[in-house]
This record gives sequence, C-alpha cells and structure tokens, in this order.
Amino acid sequence: MPELISHPAAFLDIRRASKSFGAGKVLDGVDLAVERGEFVSLLGPSGCGKTTLLRIVAGLLGADQGHVMLDGADISAKPPHHRDVGVVFQSYALFPHLTVAENVAFGLHAKGTEKSSIRPIVAKFLDLVHMSAFADRSVKALSGGQQQRVAVARALAVGPKLLLLDEPFSALDRKLRETMQIELKRLLRELGTTAVFVTHDQDEALIMSDRIAVMNRGLIEQLATPDTIYRRPATAFALEFVGLSTRLRGKVSAMEGAGELLIDTAFGSIRANGNHLPGSSVLIGVRPERMVFGARDGANTVAAAIQDIVFQGSRIQVHFVSGIDEPFLLETGGELPAGLAPGQQVPLSWSIADTLVYPAGPSA
Amino acid sequence: MSGARLDRMIWLALPAVAYLAVVYALPLLWLLGRSVTGPDGFTIAQFTAFFADPFSWRVMGNTLRIAFWVTLLSLVIGYPVAIAMARARGLMQVMLLVAMILPLSIGVVVKAFAWQIVLRRDGVISQGLVAIGIWAEPQRLLFTEAGLIVGATNVFLPFMILPIYSVVKLIDPRLTEAGATLGASPFYRFRKILLPLALPGIVSGSAFVFSMAVSMFVIPSLLIGDRFQTLATLTGRSYLLMRNEALGSTTAVILLVIAVSIVVLSTWLSKRVGRSL
Repeated sequence: MPELISHPAAFLDIRRASKSFGAGKVLDGVDLAVERGEFVSLLGPSGCGKTTLLRIVAGLLGADQGHVMLDGADISAKPPHHRDVGVVFQSYALFPHLTVAENVAFGLHAKGTEKSSIRPIVAKFLDLVHMSAFADRSVKALSGGQQQRVAVARALAVGPKLLLLDEPFSALDRKLRETMQIELKRLLRELGTTAVFVTHDQDEALIMSDRIAVMNRGLIEQLATPDTIYRRPATAFALEFVGLSTRLRGKVSAMEGAGELLIDTAFGSIRANGNHLPGSSVLIGVRPERMVFGARDGANTVAAAIQDIVFQGSRIQVHFVSGIDEPFLLETGGELPAGLAPGQQVPLSWSIADTLVYPAGPSA
Repeated sequence: MSGARLDRMIWLALPAVAYLAVVYALPLLWLLGRSVTGPDGFTIAQFTAFFADPFSWRVMGNTLRIAFWVTLLSLVIGYPVAIAMARARGLMQVMLLVAMILPLSIGVVVKAFAWQIVLRRDGVISQGLVAIGIWAEPQRLLFTEAGLIVGATNVFLPFMILPIYSVVKLIDPRLTEAGATLGASPFYRFRKILLPLALPGIVSGSAFVFSMAVSMFVIPSLLIGDRFQTLATLTGRSYLLMRNEALGSTTAVILLVIAVSIVVLSTWLSKRVGRSL
C-alpha cells in the first residue's frame, strides 16, 4: 500500500480517491501522480472508473474519500470554477448560442480578463487550432472535427494548469482521429500543458501518451510508459487489454535457479522467468510479433495447427488452433514461409525473455 | 411526386378547416364587421367613443396590469419548477409532471370557487398570515386585485412551466459544467448559458400566460366581481347584461388586437433574442 506522506507531491497528485454510486464501488482508492507537462492517459474499459476519476479532478463530482493536489495546493474542496482545470468533453459541449470566437472567449470573460486583451488571446488560440477562418461562424454549423478544435481552443484559452480530455476523439472517423491525435499531442507539447486523457482506445493511448494508467474495476493496474505497458504488462488484464497477445494456460512444474520456471501446457513444456510457486496455475502471454516460424535452440518451441491466415497489408497474422478460449496468433511484417495453409501443423518459437507469466485468475 | 402527394394530403385537413371556418372564422368576421358598423353603415365612431371615455382607459389599464402581474408571478414561480422538472429523473420527474398536469383536468369554475374559499376573510391565507404575525387581524383577499392575481396565477401556471420545461430539458447539462471548468461562477453560468438558452421557452410561456390572462373572464368574475372591469368582463357584460353589441364587439376587437400583438411580438422577440445572444 502506498504511503500517504512519503512521496514528494507531483504536479497533479491524486491520493486514495474513492467513489461509490449506491452499492457499486467505482473508484477504490486510486493514487495517481502526474508530472508538470506530462501527458497521461487513463486507459480502461467502460465502467472502470476513468471518467469518474476525471470528473473528480475537475470538481464536477465529489469524491467520497481522498484528495486531489494540484501544483502544491489541495483543491479537493474547491468548486470547479476555482480549480484552473480545463475539460474537453466527449460531446464537446460548445455553447450553441455563441459563435466560435465567443465560445473561445467565454472563459476569459467569465474570469474577468481585461476586455482589450481578450481579442488577441482568442485569435491566438483559434490560430493554433487552425480555426481562424471560422471565428464568426455559429458552432452549430461546424463538423465534428472542427467542433473538437474549438473545444480544445476554448479550454486552453483560459490557461488552465491542467487539461482533462474525456474521449475527445470518439465521435470522429478513423482517419480524422489519427490526424487530430498527432495535432493535439504536438499542440500540448508546444504549450507545455499538463494533460490527463481518458480513453478506452488502446491505440490512441499508445500513440499520444507519455505514460499510460491502465485502469480496471476502480483501480490503476499499471502506470508506465507506452513501451513498458506493451512489452511488460504488469497484470494479465493489462496484457489482454493493450494490444494483441497469444495466451496459454498452464501449471508451474518446477522452479530452477533464480526464478526460472518450467510450465506445463497443452503445447508441452514452456520456459519463462518469474516467481510462481510450483503447482500454481498461471497464464502465459506472448506478443504475436515476438513469435517466429521454426524451432530455435534456447527458445520456447511448440508445434501448432494453422487456423487462419489474415492479410492486413503491412502485417500478416497467422491464427492457430489453441484448444482453449484464448487467442493464439503470430504476427509478422515480413513474408510467410512458402506453402503455408490452414490445417497445417507448423513449429513456432519465441524467446524465454519474451514469455510473460501471470497468476491465473479464475479461468474465464 | 411529392407535390401530388401533398395535394392529396391536403384533403385530410378539410374537416378541420371547414369546422374552424363555421364556428370560428365566420363569427369572428361578423364580430369585426359589427365593431365598424353603425346605423348608417361603416363607421369608426364606436372606437373613437370608446377611446374618448376615461373609464375605457381604466378598464384597459386593469386588464394589462393584472395580466402583467399574473405573467410575472407565473414566471418567478414557474421557472425554478421547470428547471427542477427538467433535471429530475425517473419517478420524481413523472410525479412532478403529474402534479402539474392533473389540476388542468379540474374546471376553471371549480378552481375559482375553491379560491373564493381560500381568499375569504376566514380563509386559510388570512388565518395563516395572522397566525405567523404578519397581519394583525384577518383580512379579506377575495374581491381584491391581489386575490385575483394569486388565483389566476394558479390556473395559468402550467402554461408557463411546460414551454420552459420542454426547452430546458433539451439543454445539455454538460454546457453548465463546461462553463464551470472555464471559470464561470454559478450566477455567471445562469446568466450567460442557462438563461439565454431557456429564453425561447420563457418568451412563449409568457406569451401564453399573458394572452390568457388578458382575456380571462370566469376567474375575475368570481374572484373580484363587477366593481372591477377588464376588457373581457366588459365584453361579456356588454353582450349578456347591457345588450350593447356595439360596445361588446368594440372591446372584443381591442382584446383580439392585444392578444394577436402579443403572439406576433413574442415570435419576433424569441427569433431576435435567439440570434443576438
């Protein structure tokens, strides 16, 4: 359990945040520290508590317990309009009775910014999101992508200490989404804005984040860089939720030396590094692109039957018969060995270092 | 194709059009005609005579003053109710809606009689105000302007609440949240977000209540009596008691002009306000 006082306060420091709705515990004592200028994603399935956590940080929802510290001050008791925390909503929530420029100016007027300085600020932020040409349009006449730009400009124009984004790309089509992701990431880096981003889209989180917090059932299961989350998922949930993986079930048969495991599976004995007692049930995970065709010495080698070959342009996936309700696939960016066909039994291998092991939950 | 379709569809409206023409448009035309006809044919003498009489101005003043206060009171009471109804969920919302709509099924006469009892010298209001020490002794509210305003507000309140409710219900609650995260205080949010967006509902609710309050007949007849005349009660008296069709049609036309102006004005206002805000 993390100690309450021991770590020095980060720029945004959420401590033991808890929230229940009725009998359902949505947040179960979440700790999260975000450094100044960092872009952190809260990634998880719907209902994992990520949006609830975001609303608590914004002050739109009160936590049952816990504290939110921002820039050294405890803002837990402050109303949203005294927090300096900007929000870009999923639905954008633009004011329909105002023009684009008036929307961006809203917060400046509300905060009593000197009238003469509002116009240049609005112009600057509309320019940053490439919406200057639309300044006098009604927001109702804008496309989804344009509304999203205005929502970002509006939130940033007041100069918040922290920007929260609640699935801002979910309403956009895929191509536009990818453009906007890169654009927004660049904009926030240029401005040095600290941002917390809520998403259920793992690709989005991997592309945009400095660090990702993988959330499940009201808790953060892992907080790490995208690279670490992908290569070294800390829990079976993180493995399953982020990226594709081949998963096998097995039982530890022996522990040799310093954490070298021998695991019995339906595909024979698998070697892995980890600390699990002999006899315990485990889940084995391998990223599909770490697997190769052919047997290798000093690596885990199995033989499996091809179920499907899926061509995806730059990559090819080969799915194998796993015998259990878990995926078993290999992914390659190169060429397949000649003459592969479904039904064929082929040897595969992957290195011991790429073999991830987790305690097996109730098999589901 | 769609033109031919529309042509055929138009026949569906025929019964309603015929009905309205017979029971509404024709009497109205007769009324308008009667107001500008004298013994010697066309004349505006009835209008000039009416506007020359100070009593007429007092009647018009009474009518507009009462309608104004009823509208204002309905707005002040109705707006928060409409917001509460729009924000309520599930059973609570249903209960609020029923509580508002159910009284509409009770006739205006019954309600007015009920208010007679409430507003009497020994009625609930009088006794209540004495009990909490605001009034030294029981007073009669019945047959006073205040009593009329209170009673009429009660009857017309749903017509203020419903239009506001239907507009506010469509306002995304995220908008005020967005306002808050942009640094706007609750009052600023109300002034710059909720109020402008609710304004079309406020304007149409006010137009409803005002035009009904201007032309109400039963309620003033029962709650304030003959000493206090409005355009509507004067019209009624002219026809029913004084058998003065000339005066009755004149006041009726003036009343009509006022009511139509309100509808036109409010339509124009809500369009204009919607644009400028």
